[in-house]
Amino acid sequence: MTVTDATTSTAPHAPSASSRRAARGFAPVTPALALVVFVFVLPVLALLLRSVLEPQPGLQNYEAFFASTTYLKVLGNTFLVAGTVTVVTVLLGFPVAWFLAIAPGFWSRLLFAIVILSMWTNLLARTYAWMVLLQRTGIINRTLIDLGLISGPLPLINNLVGVTIGMTYIMLPFMILPLHATIRSIDPTVFQAAALCGASRWQAFTRVMLPLTASGIAAGALMVFVMSLGYFITPALLGGTSNMMLAELIAQLVQSLLDWGLAGAAALILLTITLAIYLVQLRFFGFGQARS
Amino acid sequence: MSRTSKIGWIGGLALGALVAGAGLGIAQSGSIVFTSWGGTTQDAQKQSWAVPFTKKTGIAVKQDGPTDYGKFKAMVESGNVSWDVVDVDGDFAAAAAKDGLLEPIDFSVVQRADLDPRFVSDMAVGSFYYSFVLGFNPASFGEKAPKSWADVFDTKTFPGKRTFYKWSTPGVLEIALLADGVPADKLYPLDLDRAFKKLDTIKADIVWWGTGAQSQQLLASGEAPIGQFWNGRLFALEQGGTKVGISWEQNLTAADMLVVPKGSKNKEAAMKFLAEATSPEGQASFATDSGYAPINLKSPALMPKNVAADLPDQHTASQINLDMGYWAAHRDEIGKRWYAWQAQ
Repeated sequence: MTVTDATTSTAPHAPSASSRRAARGFAPVTPALALVVFVFVLPVLALLLRSVLEPQPGLQNYEAFFASTTYLKVLGNTFLVAGTVTVVTVLLGFPVAWFLAIAPGFWSRLLFAIVILSMWTNLLARTYAWMVLLQRTGIINRTLIDLGLISGPLPLINNLVGVTIGMTYIMLPFMILPLHATIRSIDPTVFQAAALCGASRWQAFTRVMLPLTASGIAAGALMVFVMSLGYFITPALLGGTSNMMLAELIAQLVQSLLDWGLAGAAALILLTITLAIYLVQLRFFGFGQARS
Repeated sequence: MSRTSKIGWIGGLALGALVAGAGLGIAQSGSIVFTSWGGTTQDAQKQSWAVPFTKKTGIAVKQDGPTDYGKFKAMVESGNVSWDVVDVDGDFAAAAAKDGLLEPIDFSVVQRADLDPRFVSDMAVGSFYYSFVLGFNPASFGEKAPKSWADVFDTKTFPGKRTFYKWSTPGVLEIALLADGVPADKLYPLDLDRAFKKLDTIKADIVWWGTGAQSQQLLASGEAPIGQFWNGRLFALEQGGTKVGISWEQNLTAADMLVVPKGSKNKEAAMKFLAEATSPEGQASFATDSGYAPINLKSPALMPKNVAADLPDQHTASQINLDMGYWAAHRDEIGKRWYAWQAQ
């Protein structure tokens, strides 16, 4: 869902034509839709139903969730991590996307290949690679100690730092690609015009570049934020138990405590919040762009 | 919308037919699915049990894993059981038997009289028995060698991270209480307040291991030079040439259990597999490979003397049996508190 949003909201074409095309092209989509309904929507609905039916019908699972400081802390943590990762990916992704758009063919293709290749590499392998780099006896700490820059190992893993590094790395392409599409669609002559009108480089950036790329930033940020909210493997391996995220809690409730009612409640709470954020974003950026 | 859902139903039926067909195919060709925890342990189980079993009976054994109690429960509840024999923790076996998730063991096929009575019940037979032991990396502590569980909590004498098993299962709480001076015969019922208070004293220094392989990596790299380990994983590290320190003082024993999920489609073949897995030869071969102790009383006589001498059943002087009955009764309550404490 977020993927289609990103591509449509960054596409420079008028939305009316594409929606007509979408309506005509609906039939070929049905097998894929049926698959999604059967292997995704129905199981999720079943889990959500359990949240109001187990152990007895009622809202006790939701009461238990909101009454527990632990679960609320995990929920807060989830937002903290997703928010931090989103901010860092914007800051790191913007220059890369910009460079991709303006660099000469060879360099741009090379960088593009690196970004795409990292996406194609197995997620678990990449996360384990970060473990090797970040741990107390890992390459980064050893090198810094050998150089005499620090006396003891820095705590880079099993905490918020480790999760942020690992997840930022994995999320970067999802920021870079939509942003790159947006930046490429900007007519380069507008910057010349800005310069001719006497704008400094900084003014050209803040008053021309940023407004023109806002929709790309918003699309990328939304995708990164929403994906981060439900992330599991990387936080489980690089984070500590005291900054657990909601997906990990749900897995724990399902696998270890066999408390599927509470797990369903936690899942629905996460889903509701995610959808709400998505709708807000659509309202302020999606429609806003259609008007401009 | 209605059209979509109609196509969906048809697609679903077709998919269901495919799955059912595949299920029939498996049943006819005579094979079972064995699920365990992966890594060096499951490799040994495959070599010692599955390979000879297939040779004798012609029934193929498919390996799956890791064991996942959520999946286990979902399979039994949906009636679509694709696992036939599963290696589980002792406390789960006891709780699952109570919840009606297991098939009763057919003791006309499995020889109950040969098995250690501590590790057999109507619904489960022992897989192997292990000890939680104190393991350490000798390179990290020079001449000092930690001995007791209290040493694991002594961050002054033995600095560095310590590692414990992440999940809420028997072991860590007992270790905390022993380290705090609770006598072995007064462990149960567990004083949870006291155990968590003791764990609080080193909480910032704990790195949790979720899988056996992770525990090996943490110890071998020196990332966490001291902690609680399955004795078999330390044995495997030593076999691989890594220097490992082990203290057997107050080692805590428990058995993994083999169970057949209720509704298994290959019950008869599964029982035959259990007979092979718990046979004197199967248990002896597995114990020799893994360093875990056999649950068949006739097995030690069949094993090389030097291997038999270093098994958990040779370290009984201060050995403590983890109380699976207590854990089965309090599993949920302890689990909730455990995970809440971890997340704080």
